[in-house]
Amino acid sequence: MRSWILLLIIATSLMNHALAASFHLAIVTASNAEESNRGRSFAGIQTRVERPVRRAVELALFESKTSFEAFGIVPELQVVDIDAKRSLKDQLKAIHSNALIILDLPKPEFIETAKLLDERGQTTVNVRHPDIDLRDTLCLPSLYHTIPSERMYFDALGQFLIYRGWRKVLVVHGPTDKDRLRTQILERSLKKFGANISDFREFTLSHHPDDRDKNKPEFLTGDASYDVVAVIDSSKDFGRYIQYSTRRARPVVGDVGLTPAGWHRTLERYGAPQLNERYQSFDQENSLPASEAMSDEEFAAWSAVKLITNSLGTIDAISETLDPRKILAHPDTQVDLYKGTRGSIRRWNNQLRQPILLATGDAVVAVAPMPKFLHPKHYVDTLGLDEPESRCKLR
Amino acid sequence: MEKHLYRVNFNRKIIVFLVLIIISIGGPRAVAFEALVTNERSGDVIHVDEDGRTNHVVPICNRPRGMVRGLVDSHVIIACSDDHKVITYNRATRTIESEISPVRGAMNIAIHNASSRLFVTNEGAARASAFDLSSGQLIAELPTGLEPDGIAITDDGKTLFVASENAGLVHVFDGSTYEQQGVIKTNLRPRRITLFKKELWVSSEMGSRVEIFDIETHAKRDEVIFAPKGFRPEQMTPVDIAFNDLANEAYIALGSANHIAIVDITTRQITKYILVGRRAWGLGLSPDKQTLIVLNGLSDDFTLIDLQTKRPYLTKRAGLIPHSIKVFE
Repeated sequence: MRSWILLLIIATSLMNHALAASFHLAIVTASNAEESNRGRSFAGIQTRVERPVRRAVELALFESKTSFEAFGIVPELQVVDIDAKRSLKDQLKAIHSNALIILDLPKPEFIETAKLLDERGQTTVNVRHPDIDLRDTLCLPSLYHTIPSERMYFDALGQFLIYRGWRKVLVVHGPTDKDRLRTQILERSLKKFGANISDFREFTLSHHPDDRDKNKPEFLTGDASYDVVAVIDSSKDFGRYIQYSTRRARPVVGDVGLTPAGWHRTLERYGAPQLNERYQSFDQENSLPASEAMSDEEFAAWSAVKLITNSLGTIDAISETLDPRKILAHPDTQVDLYKGTRGSIRRWNNQLRQPILLATGDAVVAVAPMPKFLHPKHYVDTLGLDEPESRCKLR
Repeated sequence: MEKHLYRVNFNRKIIVFLVLIIISIGGPRAVAFEALVTNERSGDVIHVDEDGRTNHVVPICNRPRGMVRGLVDSHVIIACSDDHKVITYNRATRTIESEISPVRGAMNIAIHNASSRLFVTNEGAARASAFDLSSGQLIAELPTGLEPDGIAITDDGKTLFVASENAGLVHVFDGSTYEQQGVIKTNLRPRRITLFKKELWVSSEMGSRVEIFDIETHAKRDEVIFAPKGFRPEQMTPVDIAFNDLANEAYIALGSANHIAIVDITTRQITKYILVGRRAWGLGLSPDKQTLIVLNGLSDDFTLIDLQTKRPYLTKRAGLIPHSIKVFE
């Protein structure tokens, strides 16, 4: 059985164009290799929304209909669901050489696939992994990142804490390698903007009285002076219990409480309510309730497609097919992100520039960059790996 | 103590004289006007005078946004987005005279006086609607791109323009048959369209520029790109455009760049930037064209600018999220 299916061909009525150019678009997933169970924590409690990114891609295509008509483009979307038992190379052959390829894969499969496609000069997009190593050391010329990096998320948080005058930060983190790595990234961001770290505390999942210094939030956050508690808990096991249980009455930020985010369902400005409403209702047979919004991964996939369609007017990339390389490599590539500042691409590591939201469950409290954090070239480049500090130097 | 000093040192005539001098140099002698401002979050209309005083706050509807002058001088027509209706508001009696409903996601409005027609963009519905203003009857529905915002009709009523924010297009319609005549490709997020003589000026909020097109041929004639000191290119997020034909100047609100730009209409050169409040977007020009009023959408206030000296002289509190302004004699 062929592992790919042609999902959608939107036939458009063409104006002023004798020939239609195809816009090939592929989503590569591995539904059987998923390491996570779609955002669920212990006892099946949903702590994170993890939807396949296809809905967001289809939304972007839906939004681009008038542009496709105006420019004589027919989008063709295919989904390639990787079967681990078969040759990856063979399965990727089904993808058109000019396709924009959205990789929605767990990290090991992601790296393998991105490398393979990079060797063939095919354009891929990371919509899922904020990991810095993918930008700094993997550093593939044909791989773009539309999901913010951890550095962008934590820089936004760091700026917010300084802006609020909460300079003394107690860092509470989980025990996994991922938690420790992300704690280091947080530490760098906090120091970069001038915060002081009161202490690092590692929590342990246990109920044993001997561990109470590490398993009870009241003890974990005791014996220190701090303005705010920053929590790193990648698997959302423990951090959720720290709010309202700290020794001192202090706000909690990081993976719980006030969280940096790429997108949010309650952003009121910049046309965001329109985009959220459309995401819920554009697919009339499968509409979602008003409480649902794109996850950061979905927003990244939506942004990737919109980067192409928003740039059609300014960049000539159409011959027989639309060539995404011509658009993404162009200095004028731009996208309307509904966050008040347009997005563009950082040439040194192919990261999408974008504002970062700081939000609770039901409110966007701030949009970073925060006031007074200024960059000499780009408004949002105080967030993330700036050119001088990037180890990846693509252009 | 001070009271005592005055009594000793000044006679009354001198005091009156000094006060008059202070008044005359302290602020421009603005000709009386009445400005109406819609506040989308507080759901009201405020009546503001030439001194920046808010004399009336009138609760009006949910999310009032676009506003235009009605057929008679005492009327304004306001789009109530969350109520999906358009109302006619009498500014003299401060009451709602009539309403047209339903008008889904009513966002911005244009009217054609001679034919008494009302045109509204329907934000969530990707269309614009035409109504007969006196009867409130729906005449036509015009499909546009997603998120239609700015709308304008030529004085002769022959051509209608609608900007779609998401699509990056201005749709052009025949003003009598409502047939689509073409589309104009714009830069990112076209917001407002303003007609001036033979030109169509379109603000591209995310493209950080104003593009100028020919009304007849739809060809792009020019564009204006902004660079006030201390701001980066992507912070230029222009929205409203106002024309002052007496001074041959266009005024453009630069959104997150917190400035307005003054542009020479003929040469397209930017002659001055004026710092105002946060996310400057709505613009109103006084009837004598001596005062420009700027609505600041993020700081919930408005700034009065003296167009003789090109200086802002007063900033006053508005309602929550001031959106549109119209100024009357």
